Amino acid sequence: MMEVMNILPVLIVLTGALVSMFLSMYDKFSMKYHIGVSVLFLVLALAFAVYPAGEIYAIQPFSDYFNDLLIFDTYSNFFTIALIVGALLVILIGEHYLQAHSFFKGEFLSILMFSLFGMILLANANELITAYIALEIASFAVYVMVGFNTQNPIRVEAVFKYLVLGSFIGAFYLLGVVLIFGATGTTQLTELTQYILSHSNGELTLVYIGLTLIIFTFFFKIAAFPFQSWVLDVYRGAPILVTAYMASVFKIAIFSFFLRAFLQSFPTLQDFWDPILTVLIVFTLTLGTWLAITQKIVKRMLAASSIVHTGYLLLAFIAVGENIESAYSIIFYLIAYLLTAIGSFGLVSHIIAQTKVRVTYDDFKGLAQERPFLAAMMTIFMFSLAGIPSTIGFIAKLYVFTEAINAGYIYLAIYAILATCVSVYYYFKLIAMMYFYPSNKELEEETFDDSRISTYAIALIAILIIWGGVGSALLFFMPIPSIDGIFELVQISVKSLFL
Amino acid sequence: MGTDLLSFIIFLPAFVAFILMVTTTKVEDVRNIAFITTIITLVLVLKLYLNYDPESGMQFVINVPWILKYGINYYVGVDGFSLTVLMMIAILIPSAYLLLWDGRTKGYWINMLLVQTGVTGALLSLDIILFYFFWEMMLLPVFLMIGNFGTGDKIFTTIKVTVYTMFGSLLMFVAIIYLGVAYFNEFGLWSFQYSDLTQITNLTYAEEFWLFLAFLTAFAIKIPLFPFHTWIMDTYKNAPTGAVFLLSSIMAKLGIYAVVRFMIPLFPEIYIQFSSWFVFIGLFGLIYFGIAALMQDDIKRMFAYSSASHLSFIAAGIFSLNDYGVSGALYLVIAHAIATGALFLLIGILYHQTGYKTIKDLGGIAKQAPIFTFIFAIMLFANVGLPGTNGFVAELLIIFGIYQFNPIMGYVAAVTVLVAASFMLWMFQRAILQKREGPALKMRDLKIKEILGLAPWVILVILMGVYPDPFIDKFEPSVIHYLTDILKLGAAK
Repeated sequence: MMEVMNILPVLIVLTGALVSMFLSMYDKFSMKYHIGVSVLFLVLALAFAVYPAGEIYAIQPFSDYFNDLLIFDTYSNFFTIALIVGALLVILIGEHYLQAHSFFKGEFLSILMFSLFGMILLANANELITAYIALEIASFAVYVMVGFNTQNPIRVEAVFKYLVLGSFIGAFYLLGVVLIFGATGTTQLTELTQYILSHSNGELTLVYIGLTLIIFTFFFKIAAFPFQSWVLDVYRGAPILVTAYMASVFKIAIFSFFLRAFLQSFPTLQDFWDPILTVLIVFTLTLGTWLAITQKIVKRMLAASSIVHTGYLLLAFIAVGENIESAYSIIFYLIAYLLTAIGSFGLVSHIIAQTKVRVTYDDFKGLAQERPFLAAMMTIFMFSLAGIPSTIGFIAKLYVFTEAINAGYIYLAIYAILATCVSVYYYFKLIAMMYFYPSNKELEEETFDDSRISTYAIALIAILIIWGGVGSALLFFMPIPSIDGIFELVQISVKSLFL
Repeated sequence: MGTDLLSFIIFLPAFVAFILMVTTTKVEDVRNIAFITTIITLVLVLKLYLNYDPESGMQFVINVPWILKYGINYYVGVDGFSLTVLMMIAILIPSAYLLLWDGRTKGYWINMLLVQTGVTGALLSLDIILFYFFWEMMLLPVFLMIGNFGTGDKIFTTIKVTVYTMFGSLLMFVAIIYLGVAYFNEFGLWSFQYSDLTQITNLTYAEEFWLFLAFLTAFAIKIPLFPFHTWIMDTYKNAPTGAVFLLSSIMAKLGIYAVVRFMIPLFPEIYIQFSSWFVFIGLFGLIYFGIAALMQDDIKRMFAYSSASHLSFIAAGIFSLNDYGVSGALYLVIAHAIATGALFLLIGILYHQTGYKTIKDLGGIAKQAPIFTFIFAIMLFANVGLPGTNGFVAELLIIFGIYQFNPIMGYVAAVTVLVAASFMLWMFQRAILQKREGPALKMRDLKIKEILGLAPWVILVILMGVYPDPFIDKFEPSVIHYLTDILKLGAAK
C-alpha cells in the first residue's frame, strides 16, 4: 500500500496532464477553467507528496514492474514537493498573463504538466537511461512551450536554437551512457558506484570519458560556460512565464538528478573534474556578469543573471567532493532561487500582461509612483537576487560561500563574491529606475487591475522571501517557525541517499 | 519590557516605519509620528543610560538563536562604547528632524526611521553576522534617499556609493565567513559571536593579516579613510541634507566604532604591529583632506573634506594604543557627530533659503540671521577645537595620545590641527560675516522649532567642553578593558 502512496504524486500529475489535454479539445472551456483544473490536480499531487515529508526512507516500489529503475526516497520526495510548488506558483503568478494573451490555449497547461511529470520522474530516476527519457519528456515539453507565443517572430529562432542544441547535447548524453555501459555493463547508479570503487584509475578511462559527456548535458541544461550561448535568445523568445519556469523549476529538476548521481556514484572522480570545474566556474561567473551588465532589456538581464546564479551553484557543486554539507547548500540555494526567480520573472510578466510595453529598463521608470506595492515587491526580489541581508537570497549565499570556504575553495569564493558585488550594479539599476525617475506620461493613464490572483501570489512569494531571510530573528515579536526547519528537511533528504 | 529594552530600541523605528508605509498617506502625520517615535526611543535610551553600570562590562544582553545551523544568534548587548554612541544617535536624530521639518515627503521620513533601526542594530550587535545584517540594512534607506531626493547626477551617485560600500561589505563578508569556518575547524561547532571568534588560535599570520585588511577596508570605506574616500565628494554634493547628515555624523562613526569593537579583539597582534602605519595614514589624511578643504568654494564640499579630515584624526587616535588616544578618539566621535551634523543641517537651511552654497556668492548672513550665525559659530568652534568646546577636549586627548605613541607624530598632529582651524575660520569670515548685498537678503533667521532642535547640541558642546568627566567616566572602563585585557598593554602608560 505504501508503494502506491509513493508513486501517487507522479501519477496524479500525469493524469492531470491527460485530463487537461482532453479538455482542451473543447472550445467552450475558458482559460480560467483550464487553470482551475490544473491547479486542482497539482494541489492534489502536492498533498500526497507532502504526506510522507519529514521521515527518512528509500524504497524502490513495484520492483517487478519497474525493475528498480525508479527510486522513491526522501530526497526525491523533497524535490517532488519543490517542483510541484514551483509549477503551482508559476501558474498562479501567470494567471493574469495566461488570460491576457490569446495565444495561450488549454494545451499549454497540459504541456506544462507533462514537463512537470518528466521532471518529477527525473528526480526519481535511479538509472542513466531512465534519466535520459525523463529528461527528454521534460525537455520536449519545454521546447513546445518556448515556441508558444505565435505573435512573436523571434520565437522561431528561440525554439529552433533550443531544440537543435538540446537534441544535439542529448546525443552526447547517450554516447556517454553507451561508453559507460560498454565499460561497466550497467547503467544503474548503485552498480556503477560498485564498479568505480572496485577498479583502479587506469581501468576507468572509458567511464571518465562517458561521464564527461554526460556532464556536458548537465552544463548545457543549467547554462554553464561554455554551453550558455542559447540562454539569452531562448529566454528572450519564450513567453516570460515559460522563462520563469525554465530558470527556476527546470533548473531544480536538472540538479535533482545530477546531484544524486554525483553524491551516490562519483565522489571518487572528484579529482578528475576539479580543475575543469574550477575553470568553468570562473568563466561562467565572468561571462554571466558581463552579459547581465550589458543588457538593456530587463528580461534578458534576468536571464543573464541566472547564468551567474548557475556559477554560484557550481561553486557549491565543486565543494561537494570535500564536504557533504555543500550538497545541502546547493539544495537550499535552489529553493531560494526558485522563489526569487519565479517572483521576479512573474512580476515582470504580470506587468507586461497589463501594459504590453514594459520591456527595457527605461520602461520601468517611475513604477514606484504608479504602483508602489509592485515596485516594493520587485525591490524585495532584486535584494534577494543580489543577496542583501534580510532576504532568503542572503542566507542561501551565506550557506554556499561558507561551505565553499570550508571546503578550501577560498579564491573561487572570493571571485564569486566579487561577481556578487558587480551584480549589485545591475539589480540596483532597476530599483533606481523604478524609484528615482518620474513616470512616463503615456503609461500613467493606463489602469492597473491589482486585485488578481497573480498579485496575491507575488505578494505571497515576497513574504516567503523575507521570512526566509529574517525568520526567527523576530521570534520575540511573533511566534513563527525558523528557517532551521528547511535546513533540517534538506539534511534528511540528502541522508536518505545513503540508506 | 526589562531585558527586551534593547530590542525595543532597535526595532521600534522600523516597526513604525512599516506601519506608516502601509497606512497613512498625509505627510504631516507621517512626520509627526516618526518624530514621536524617535522621542520615545530617546526616552528608552535615557532609561538605559541611567541603569547602566560602567564597571560591569556587557549589559542588557539578549541572546536568542536565529539560525541554529550556523550558531548565528540574535545577540545584542551594550557596554561603555556602544552606550555612548547610542546616546549620541538617540539625541541627534530627533533634533535633526526638527531642522528638516518642512517640505519633505513621506518616503523621506520612513527612510530616516529605517536608518535608525539599521544603525542602532549594528551598534548593539555582538554576533558578527547580525552586525553585517544591520550594516547592510542601514545602507539601503540612504540609497533610496539619495536617489529620490538628491540633486545633480543623483543616479550615478547612488549607484557609485552603493557599489563602493557594497564592495567593502562583501570583503568583510568573506572575512567573516572565513573566521567562522576557522572556528568550526578548531572547535567543531559553528559560532559567529565575536567573543567566540576571538578564541581562534589556528590561523596563520598571513591569514590573519588578510582578514584584518578585509575588515579594515570595509570600515575604511565607511569612515572614509585615505585612499578609500573617493565616493564622498559626489555623495556629499548631490545627496539631500538628511542623507548627508546620516552619512557623515552617524554612519561614519559606526565605522570607527566597528574598528574598536571588532578589529581590536579579533586581531590584537596585527593591530599593535601595524598601528604606527595607521597613525601615519590617519595623520596624512588629516593634512591631505585639510588642504583639499582649503581649496573648496562650495561650503558643503568643504565640510565633506573637513569631516573626512577629522575622521582621519579620529582613526589616528584609535590606533595610538593608549588610553588618551582611544578615549580622545571616542570623545571626538561624539563631538564631531554633533558639530558636523549641525553644520550640514545649517548649510542645508542656508541653501534652502538663499539658493547658494558657494562661499564667493554668500556673505552678510550675520546681519540677516544673528541666531543662525551664533549657533553656526559655536558648531564651527567645536569643529575646529577651540577651548571651551568638546572638540578641544577631544583633540587635546588625541594629541596627548599620539605624542605618547610617538613624540614626532604628536608634534605633527598638534600643528596640523591649525590647518583645520585656519580654513574654517577663513570660510566663516567670508561666507557669513563679511558685509555684502545679494542672496543673503533672502535669508531668514532660525525658527523656534529649529532653535529647539539645536539647543541640546549647543548645550552638549559646551557641557562636554567644560566638564567632560561624567561623559568620559561612562566609557573609560571599557577603553581600559580593551587596552589591558585584550591588547595586553598597560593602561595610560
